[in-house]
Amino acid sequence: MNFNPGDLYGVLPALLLAAGALVLLTSEVFLRPVEPDRRYQAWVAAAFAFAGLWASLAQLGDPAQPLFAGAAVSDGFAHIVAAVVCAALFLSCIVAFSYLESLRATRGEFYALALFSASGMCLLAQATDLVVIFISLEVMSLAVYALCAYLRRGKRPAEAAFKYFILGSFASAIFLYGAAFAFGASGSTRLADLAATVRSGSATTLVYASAALLAAGFAFKVAAVPFHMWVPDVYDGAPAPVTGFMAAGVKAAAFATLVRILVSGYGEGGRWRGLIVALAYLTMLVGNLLAVPQRSVKRMLAYSSIAHAGYLLVAVAAMGTSAPRADAAGALLFYLASYGATVIGAFAVVAIIERKLALSGLGDDLSSWAGLSEKHPALAAAMSLFMISLAGVPPTAGFMAKLTVFRSAIEADLVPLAIFGVITSVAGLYYYLRVVVYVYMVPEAKADAVQGGRLLSAGLAIAGCALIVLWMGVLPGSFAALAQSGAAVFGR
Amino acid sequence: MVDFFHAHQAQHYLVLAALLFALGAAGVVLRRNAIIVLMSIELMLNAVNLTFLAFARFPLVANSPMQGGFSQGHAAVFFVIATAAAEAAVGLAIIIAVFRSRTSVNVDEFDSLKL
Amino acid sequence: MAEAVLFYLFAAGVLAGGSQVVLRRNPIYGAVSLVGCFFFLAGIYVLLSAHLIAILQVLVYAGAVMVLFVFVIMLLNLKEEELGELRFTFWKVVGLVAVLATAAVIAWRALGPAYPSTGPARDNAILLAAEGFGGVKAVGRTLYLAAVLPFELTSLLLLVAIVAAVVVAKGKI
Repeated sequence: MNFNPGDLYGVLPALLLAAGALVLLTSEVFLRPVEPDRRYQAWVAAAFAFAGLWASLAQLGDPAQPLFAGAAVSDGFAHIVAAVVCAALFLSCIVAFSYLESLRATRGEFYALALFSASGMCLLAQATDLVVIFISLEVMSLAVYALCAYLRRGKRPAEAAFKYFILGSFASAIFLYGAAFAFGASGSTRLADLAATVRSGSATTLVYASAALLAAGFAFKVAAVPFHMWVPDVYDGAPAPVTGFMAAGVKAAAFATLVRILVSGYGEGGRWRGLIVALAYLTMLVGNLLAVPQRSVKRMLAYSSIAHAGYLLVAVAAMGTSAPRADAAGALLFYLASYGATVIGAFAVVAIIERKLALSGLGDDLSSWAGLSEKHPALAAAMSLFMISLAGVPPTAGFMAKLTVFRSAIEADLVPLAIFGVITSVAGLYYYLRVVVYVYMVPEAKADAVQGGRLLSAGLAIAGCALIVLWMGVLPGSFAALAQSGAAVFGR
Repeated sequence: MVDFFHAHQAQHYLVLAALLFALGAAGVVLRRNAIIVLMSIELMLNAVNLTFLAFARFPLVANSPMQGGFSQGHAAVFFVIATAAAEAAVGLAIIIAVFRSRTSVNVDEFDSLKL
Repeated sequence: MAEAVLFYLFAAGVLAGGSQVVLRRNPIYGAVSLVGCFFFLAGIYVLLSAHLIAILQVLVYAGAVMVLFVFVIMLLNLKEEELGELRFTFWKVVGLVAVLATAAVIAWRALGPAYPSTGPARDNAILLAAEGFGGVKAVGRTLYLAAVLPFELTSLLLLVAIVAAVVVAKGKI
């Protein structure tokens, strides 16, 4: 037997989240089927998410060690990603509380699925075995598919979930074919053994084929162009709090795994860098270009998330050189955290507006944002802050994140890529600031206030996100230090 | 033909797997019926299983560095089968949800989302 | 001798069943030919000495999963006109054949050099026959001793799948 119970401590955040999901599912049995009985569920879910956050931060100082005979690892990088995921879940639960409450759709399953998917994300960040990566990926994805289809109002959510499901399973199959080739080349599904095979230079055809297939599978998950077709529809069709959680959590976990596979599995040669650089160019260009004509804020944010995947790919590409990898990994982690906080805040505001649209029967269009500043100045200010952060303007988190990513790219001799990134983010200013213009400068045609309801909890979450965004922008020191300590595993 | 098979046994299985994978991928790309798309994905997963099993029997390296040796290929297939079953259950549930909302399983008619 | 004949037989069955899935208009024909395809694949797995996996293939895939598919197809009860026409022109079929031929050639070229060009490749089934390669015991030992984490994760996955399927198939939320 080689099962060491101590290994369970290494996957504590994932265990806590799964336990929370089980608690919620079990508690559902004892409830009367009336809405007010279910109010506590969001807070139980948030409490477990907070416990996961605490656990992952508490483990941060521990030395890196393999778990379950090398199937997973407990290291700083995984802990930071787990912390980002848990924080995203925590904020999303609070946003979802008022959103679901106002739609009379509160069910324990919603939070249970969110906790399950977060637990899959934490495991994904820790996995160092291709089979474990695949199963964690499926745990995450199946839960997220169901969350997309959770609300059955009209036909859009189910169709969005279907599209996501088909393309996601297609990507999983491609990933798995790559894993089979890696198994053929190295006789093992562990990334460390794969790295040894890559170093020895044997079975090169299979190694290249596996690298291409694994990268293609994850390019789907991180929404890199040309594997991005599902993003706009899924982000548009899913409930807004779910979209925010997806944008923050799925992206963080998928990027962490992509880095893990490329650096730990194929790292030394760094021949995959060309592939990632090409993907980064394409993704930044197409994401920003397609975002420009969007008049629906949700779709604009979807294309913007593609563009941000491009900037994150710049950081991944910067890890493919002999330059200090830890800097680029730290930049990646910092970017993931800042993007997560910003996008959850932005989608929380969208969730409030979406409810208003649902009540007034209007389509999701920029014009419905007109005059927001007069009735809800705080909401308008927060949305503007998030837009400015997404655009990468100081003094926000987005600016610091872009700065560190481009700096790491320049250190890694990827100067053209960094310059291209700066140019595209300047182009991105147009569509982000257009939202701000509508919010502040365009007067509203006819007045209809946002339906009151329980704005308080969503407001709390938005305020929290705004605080993080400002904090990371003005005093990035402590966050950057945290990211660097997590990235130290890649240091050399 | 028999000699040819015995001289290139491993390649035979691997090429069959590649064909099956390509067939499944073609089904996903070409067909519009949701259930057939789902079945094509099952074909792709089976192609992957065949690849794992072929590499487990005809390995390219002398020794598997993993505990359990090349049986790990069989274990991987075990997990893929379990995952495929789970995926099929959720996929079919989503198809039912879509069908309920619009009584068609034709991907082309899913037009409330723009491409 | 017998192995070669069986392989070509089974491979033909697998490809015939698989192509029926892709080419048939009515999903129920596709589902039934997929069952056939899985049975032939189980035969191929036996040829590869993967006896346990062959049985699982029949029990889980051809049995459970395909029954689920057939059940859903029957539940949806598609009318003839709802199936949509099958837009398979002559050129699309030619294209499909061309894609398959290309895949075969690429796979053959790519995998050819990996194995010794003369004589058979190293055969684990013969080397490990004494340890019961591919049998219940060998695979079971690997599953429970060496693959603890993925095994436990699979239980989580199945639970998630149950909850997700129930939530999605629910009538109204």
